[in-house]
Amino acid sequence: MADDDDLIAGHLQELRRGTVVLACLTRLRIPDYGYALLEALDALGIQVDANTLYPLLRRLEKQGLLTSEWNTAESRPRKFYRTSPTGDALAATLSADWDRLTASLHRISEGELP
Amino acid sequence: MTTLTDRYVWAAVRTVPEPQRSGLEPEIRELIEESVRARIDAGDPVPAAESRALTELGDPERLAAAYVDRPLTLIGPRYYLDWWRLLRTVALIVVPISTAAVLVAQLLVSNDLGGAIAGAVSTALGVTVHLAFWITLVFVIIERTGTPGPGAAWSPDALPDVPDLSRRSRLPDLIASLVFLVLLAGVLLWQQFVPGVRDAAGGAVPVLDPKLWSFWIPWFLGLLAAEAVFAVVVYLRGWSWSLAVMNLGLNLAFAVPAVVLWIDGRLLNPGFPAAVGWDQGAPEAGGVIGAGIVATVLVIVTWDVVDGFLNARRASGAPVRRPALHNR
Repeated sequence: MADDDDLIAGHLQELRRGTVVLACLTRLRIPDYGYALLEALDALGIQVDANTLYPLLRRLEKQGLLTSEWNTAESRPRKFYRTSPTGDALAATLSADWDRLTASLHRISEGELP
Repeated sequence: MTTLTDRYVWAAVRTVPEPQRSGLEPEIRELIEESVRARIDAGDPVPAAESRALTELGDPERLAAAYVDRPLTLIGPRYYLDWWRLLRTVALIVVPISTAAVLVAQLLVSNDLGGAIAGAVSTALGVTVHLAFWITLVFVIIERTGTPGPGAAWSPDALPDVPDLSRRSRLPDLIASLVFLVLLAGVLLWQQFVPGVRDAAGGAVPVLDPKLWSFWIPWFLGLLAAEAVFAVVVYLRGWSWSLAVMNLGLNLAFAVPAVVLWIDGRLLNPGFPAAVGWDQGAPEAGGVIGAGIVATVLVIVTWDVVDGFLNARRASGAPVRRPALHNR
């Protein structure tokens, strides 16, 4: 039984892996810092661990998909990320592909044959 | 700032190169502080919140590695197969050659079979460890410095031939075995009855001690006959694990008495060295010949046994899912 749970969890993780990137790029059109993004995604049912999300944001920044700025106005310094124009274009591409895959999966499950 | 957080931050940033530390430290600090705040907001008691948040973040070195894309494998999937193939190929070539060379050299020098085998075994171990270490080290460096991209290109030309397990493919082996066995039996008989060496009185001088005819020469002749039957069985039925074990037994039955007889000095005809003009006072000459014979026997026997097991594995690894192998 535990093996079944592990199996399902593993496949779910595989399926969701790329969607976190898409969610970040889409959500960060409005600038925000890591933990606020995490809580926003969590509220929408997109779960991601903090120790995964923070390195991911840094990697996306390195790839030029996000820009960042330290906000030191408040009591604790926070790094605010924002989607760059490149990141925006990638989000559009990923989103279109996601929609296409969803449509394809629906057609398969409805029994359509090529 | 509390000590636990400071220690966590330090544990993380010390594992990344110096220039990246100043950039990384405030990020990890923010991550920890926000995680702690979220836990306190959710109702965790203040003292425990920090410890729990850090527990959730996990090993600081792993977190830092995720930040700087440091690989957490010694050799990743990109180079693993290249590493494994190179290691296997080099080990299969170098280890047997160096081991056999050490065995023969030590036998020639010392006549001490036990010492020679011990030297050969320690050489085999040492060479294997060295090969594995240095080849792995090179790949670990490539893994960490190599330019991104696929490893060595692969093409269908690299595909191995499907092993031919049909009976016909075993015919050359059968013929070679039978010819070899007949020749060996012929030599055993020839050295006794048609010797090329004669003593001063014109009498025949066999190479092997004639006293061995009481038991050991018939034993070896019987073994040769058994080997011939065995070769036919292998031809008819193909290799299997039980046949490989039987092959091991036959080889031991041949090699162990031969080596023991040589060590006891009962193998050669005592009159033979004198008859061919070897100086009686120089036992090294006979020793060198004997050592050469024993080393050759050991190398052939070892190879034959290993070959038997390799064939058995090849045959047992040919499962039903490969229809190309059904033409037995």
